[in-house]
Amino acid sequence: MAKVLVIADIKQGELKGSTAELLSKAKAMGAETAVVAIGSNIESLIPGLVNAGSDTQYVADDPGLELFSAGPYASCVVDAAKQFDANLIWFGFSESGKAVAPRVAAQMDAACATDITDVTLQGDQIEVKRPAITNKVIQRVKVNTGQLVAVVRAGAFEATEGTTGTENVIKLSPPAPDLKAVIKEIVSEASGEIDLTDANVVISVGRGAKDQTGVDIVKDLANDLNAGFGSSRAMVDAGFMPHYKQVGQTGKIVAPALYMAIGISGSIQHLAGMKGSKVILAVNKDPEAPIFNVADYGIVGDLFEVVPILREEIKKVRTTG
Amino acid sequence: MKILTTVKKVVDVELNIHVENGAIVEKGLQYVMNAWDENAVESSVQLKEKNGAETTLVSIGGGDNTDIIRKGYAMGIENGIHIDDPSLVKADSFAYARVLQKVYEKGNYDLVIAGKQAQDTDNGQTGIILAEYLGLPCVSNVIAIEVMDDKHIKVSRLGDTGTETVELALPAVVTVDVTINEPRLPQMRGIMMAKKKAINVMDLAALGLSPDEVGGAAPKSEIVEFIAPESRKGGQKFEGEAAQITAQVVALLANEAKVI
Repeated sequence: MAKVLVIADIKQGELKGSTAELLSKAKAMGAETAVVAIGSNIESLIPGLVNAGSDTQYVADDPGLELFSAGPYASCVVDAAKQFDANLIWFGFSESGKAVAPRVAAQMDAACATDITDVTLQGDQIEVKRPAITNKVIQRVKVNTGQLVAVVRAGAFEATEGTTGTENVIKLSPPAPDLKAVIKEIVSEASGEIDLTDANVVISVGRGAKDQTGVDIVKDLANDLNAGFGSSRAMVDAGFMPHYKQVGQTGKIVAPALYMAIGISGSIQHLAGMKGSKVILAVNKDPEAPIFNVADYGIVGDLFEVVPILREEIKKVRTTG
Repeated sequence: MKILTTVKKVVDVELNIHVENGAIVEKGLQYVMNAWDENAVESSVQLKEKNGAETTLVSIGGGDNTDIIRKGYAMGIENGIHIDDPSLVKADSFAYARVLQKVYEKGNYDLVIAGKQAQDTDNGQTGIILAEYLGLPCVSNVIAIEVMDDKHIKVSRLGDTGTETVELALPAVVTVDVTINEPRLPQMRGIMMAKKKAINVMDLAALGLSPDEVGGAAPKSEIVEFIAPESRKGGQKFEGEAAQITAQVVALLANEAKVI
């Protein structure tokens, strides 16, 4: 039987949706499931980890783990993976996951695959699929080591309702601090904001917004819909949006139920970050903008005119049902 | 300070990629320096200009990497190494990291700067695995590097919720994001000088590695086939009076797509 260790995605003390998605997939594959939770003051998350579908919970709870540090986090994962004898070790798609997964693979002499969208098991043979070359091809990859460390693309798997596990908490010894890479500060710009990779609706703003006034118009729409608020690279480079809000190959990869690209022309790098969205709405005044080639619904128009109308119409629909 | 920058020759992603019979069609492909590696080169040159450093780039591949090494020279890198060996054609991240480990050990560097991923594989593993093989501290997804003293640098990285600041003891490895800088365009004088500079070409044997040590017949994973992704087709596009078409689209989002 496959043994899947899922690394709990904990951000600012909260358990993110990817953890349940990965555990649901593991259960659906008939695997034995465990989760490793790393942080400080995280005992309250244990019931959520059980409810998400884990049968064993490895918990590294220590004040020294409050701030993310790739070295000590990797030590915790390797410790749990060895105790559980995991053959599949899954990270959610996050910057911390991408930083830790290759370290774990190197330490365990296991294969490593990032940004996977599917995984299959036939006997002991593990195979994954993953996009490459800016989503222009899909690679089918065969694992030869029997053990795979993988980072799973956001939205690749769905959390299944009714998936639950059993409580079996195993405490991990705190790892030694990394004295050569000392975290001095984390400026959590996203505090209290909706996580782009976790949001059901994501609205991104692009060059068409021109300046802060345009950004604020689109942000109002995001607030109305309780949506994650993202950006194209152009608006980040222009200083109107922070780096961590950038959607695209070089930023966040998102797969919400609804993605609204507002004033975004649609470079291949941006498309690589949002093409997995279930429904795409684009608003752009250039009828030839590449974004319309992937959008389910396209409005040709100036966002300064269209977005306020969009807000009103959505309010009407929601009020009248 | 001695800085080693890793540079990969990759397919130009701006051009169309076609897949036939499980493989990428080579015809029509063009190759360029990996975009993230251009940022790594720019970072190295900026550190040299600001703090003084000896800069070296290394490119791994079975084939002609001369053009991207000369581009690095034209941008201001002083020394270039090409690890050229036919057994590296199918090298994976672990193999690249093993080769880079040997290059590093021969050069006694203080800092390795790599792009955070390569645009052909989008893996984002090699720099981090290299640090593990070398037992060095590593920070990935870096957007700023500042030299503190001979033994320490301070870097900023894009984390999950914002910007993380980390002090790193040297020697160390960092992988950089494209937002760290704007790579300079090589000037004519630099391009002309770059043409005359020698490139240190080595094979695996010169590094003391056998083909089996870099994956060889038993890589940890291997690509079985390439598949063309399902193309996402454009749907309905509405042009006309803003109030009317926007109301139409909102009705479709509510009743057809059922997402609002």
